[in-house]
Amino acid sequence: MKFRLLNLAAALMLILGFTACGSRKPVLRIYNWAEYLSDEVIEAFEKEFNCRVIVDVFDSNEAMYAKLKAGGGGYDIVVPSSYQVVRMAREGMLLELDHSQLPNLVHLDPIAVKFTQDPEHRYSVPYLITSAVIGYRADRMDTGPDSWAVFADASLRGRMTLLNDQRETLGAALKFLGFSLNTVNPEEINAARDLLIEWKANLAKFESEQFKNGLMSAEFLVVHGYSSDLLQAMEEDENISIALPKEGLSIALDDLVILADAPNPQLAHAFINFMHRPEVAAENMEWVMAMSPNLPAYALLDDAFKADERIFFSEEIFAKSETIFDLGENDQLYINAWNEVKTAP
Amino acid sequence: MKADPVRRERLVEVFLTAPGFVWLLLFFLLPTFNVLLISFRPSTLTGGIGEGWTLDTLQQLRNPDYPGILFRTLWVSLAITVSCLLLSVPVAYFLARCSQRWKTRLLLLIMIPFLTNFIIRVFAWKVILHPEGWLASVLAFAGLIPPGTQLLYNVRAVILVSVYTYLPFALLPVYAVAEKFDFALMEAAMDLGCNRIQAFFRVFVPGISRGLWTATLLVLIPNLGAYVVPDIVGGHSSSMLGNVIVRRLFSDRNLPHAAGLSSVLTVLVLLPMIVVILHRRRREAH
Amino acid sequence: MKRSRFPLVVTVLVMLFFYLPVLVLVVNSFNRSRSSGPWTGFTLDWYVRLFGRRDIWEAFGNTLIIAVSASAASMLLGTLAAFALHRYRTRLQDAHYTMVYTPLVVPEILLGISLLLLFVALGVERNLTVLFIGHTTFCISYVTMVVLARLQDFDFAMVEAAQDLGAGPWTIARRVIIPLLAPGIFAGGLLAFTLSIDDYVISFFLSGPGTTTLPIKINAMIRRDAPALINALSSIMLCVTFLLVGLSQKLNKENRT
Repeated sequence: MKFRLLNLAAALMLILGFTACGSRKPVLRIYNWAEYLSDEVIEAFEKEFNCRVIVDVFDSNEAMYAKLKAGGGGYDIVVPSSYQVVRMAREGMLLELDHSQLPNLVHLDPIAVKFTQDPEHRYSVPYLITSAVIGYRADRMDTGPDSWAVFADASLRGRMTLLNDQRETLGAALKFLGFSLNTVNPEEINAARDLLIEWKANLAKFESEQFKNGLMSAEFLVVHGYSSDLLQAMEEDENISIALPKEGLSIALDDLVILADAPNPQLAHAFINFMHRPEVAAENMEWVMAMSPNLPAYALLDDAFKADERIFFSEEIFAKSETIFDLGENDQLYINAWNEVKTAP
Repeated sequence: MKADPVRRERLVEVFLTAPGFVWLLLFFLLPTFNVLLISFRPSTLTGGIGEGWTLDTLQQLRNPDYPGILFRTLWVSLAITVSCLLLSVPVAYFLARCSQRWKTRLLLLIMIPFLTNFIIRVFAWKVILHPEGWLASVLAFAGLIPPGTQLLYNVRAVILVSVYTYLPFALLPVYAVAEKFDFALMEAAMDLGCNRIQAFFRVFVPGISRGLWTATLLVLIPNLGAYVVPDIVGGHSSSMLGNVIVRRLFSDRNLPHAAGLSSVLTVLVLLPMIVVILHRRRREAH
Repeated sequence: MKRSRFPLVVTVLVMLFFYLPVLVLVVNSFNRSRSSGPWTGFTLDWYVRLFGRRDIWEAFGNTLIIAVSASAASMLLGTLAAFALHRYRTRLQDAHYTMVYTPLVVPEILLGISLLLLFVALGVERNLTVLFIGHTTFCISYVTMVVLARLQDFDFAMVEAAQDLGAGPWTIARRVIIPLLAPGIFAGGLLAFTLSIDDYVISFFLSGPGTTTLPIKINAMIRRDAPALINALSSIMLCVTFLLVGLSQKLNKENRT
């Protein structure tokens, strides 16, 4: 009897196996942040270019980089933040872009140049602009937070999270202390480290993946998270709100890049160009809830969406916010400080 | 025409041994030594492995935070192991004395939840231990905790969920031995004047000691390298050695350092184990 | 002799402990809240959406391919190894024994890291073969252990009897040893299959683009995406398991009568 069952199972698996490798269309493999690309846009691209798109996700620039370095090649498109682009380009991981295949670059909003260390777009094309903000449960708090200082509030002990991300989280502490989040002054970095160790006592954990679900299930009451994720959460749950801390925040530009060993660079170029068609960019913006620096796309957006200053930041917010930049050798200062934060009791 | 029987036997032995042995040589022993070697390579700032040899990693392993983490890893793993053993002995005793029909049924009932995915089972605990979930409400109502207390993200949650995950690994080997245990021995002990509890501890428990040892190994060892459970239900102050290794590997990109920590874990686990394994082999031979 | 109630009580409690999370996830698969938090209403939506997710079924296919091939390979390698270990007491077998047993006592994370670093050093692309190698490596030891345990009870007089009756080695293997050992080999294979299908740690290190296995997919989805979808998936898997187990019990009973 047992063998009969086994045979049955084996037959079933063979069938499944064949259906799994049935299609022989060209494949585009994308390594992206979670929920950072509209499903409809993927479908439209697959249809138009008669291909299949496979998306894998990562949760921090460091994790993505480490996975690629550890031989996890095979991707065509990756979506690093602009500071990570510099490092990847320096190490020859990126393909120099062929601008003749990217006619839609003319649509780029010049504002994007502010956030990138690759203004000529040699290796990277701006994709979306987001920021790291505070999300909270409006139904459990009398007044919403307006400052990073909320993480010092012991009454919320065990119900708050900060991102598990060395630059973003040290950056939040640096902003609170009034320093630049790109500082290379060891004293300032150490002050931020000590502050984080104090805040840590009030945290449930450092969390980059589950802040959204945790906030929606009310497991967490205050989280440090990416604006696009938290805006998506707000759409689904009216009890969730977002605060832009008054000390300023980190605004990140995430870029589309092609890996040097991409199996399908041509299709990858087509994808980047496709993402900057104004109607595609507009649709993707409204799905992800982040700003794509594409000028003609703005006209296609909903007025309410365009007026949302958590997506289209005001001059005032831009003035007090910063973008994380690559610091070369000085990155080690942040790595060390972050390790001390994480291992401190 | 027949070949020398000793040589022929030797050939058969090699034929039987070679496939598995070579496989494990290539994909287990060789990679393990590779890790040891990498711990003596310099790390590059770009997250690669540099040229030449160095003792830098060894120096870095003298990090003052590591003894604490190592200690936590040891005591948490031990606590998990002891809890699993304490729960499996009575259950194995009960199962072994059931009728054959109930034995099969209960064993299947034990196995079934563990055929669902490991990650899913761990996440189900997040729902149970939710700070506003029913368990927290009951505890708060009973006055045991203040309302809204976070039950997750601490060492207790790690131990609880790990016990849940590893209990079958303790239960099955203990049961396997208990099933062969001759319960007449217990009755004999009681006839000789032991009470039931004495008989249980003096006759039954030593009688299943082999199962207990197997269970200890099967629970203790994986937990020494655990990183998934502490990552999901543990907090910022319950990281274990496995979490540190993964962090070195996937966020600092310091491969030699990760390799160094892995080697420490390997040596910690393997040296005593090889002695135990060889001892067991010799004993089996007699 | 009057029996103590204590073992019964502990067994009942342990069973409750085992089934509590299972109950929670089945209930939550009908919960409208996508984050699996407090109950917000009944829905079958997650089941409907599950069938539209091509990526889950692809990951499931990968998992099955690897589990079947790795358990088949480890059944073969493990059975041969168990025979060698049972039959010979040489230095080679001492080494062999240590080699087979150590993977069992090495934390999975170390197996994952060492294989990852090996494949990196060799410049091997991460495809299904890499995952197959990783899974087979840890399955061999389990199969060997199970088959070896069966061999302890194996009556070699049967083999001698067959030899006396003039059977050749292949006939003996096919007609005597394999049928007698089949339950052991099969149990080992089943264990390997179960371990492979549920393996997260080794796959986490070895999977690459397009070789996502189900546990990896589940992990990504449950953390970021929709835990409720995963609850629906695992409820279905539980039902299938219950059905298969029930069916095999029934067939067993019929075979016996």
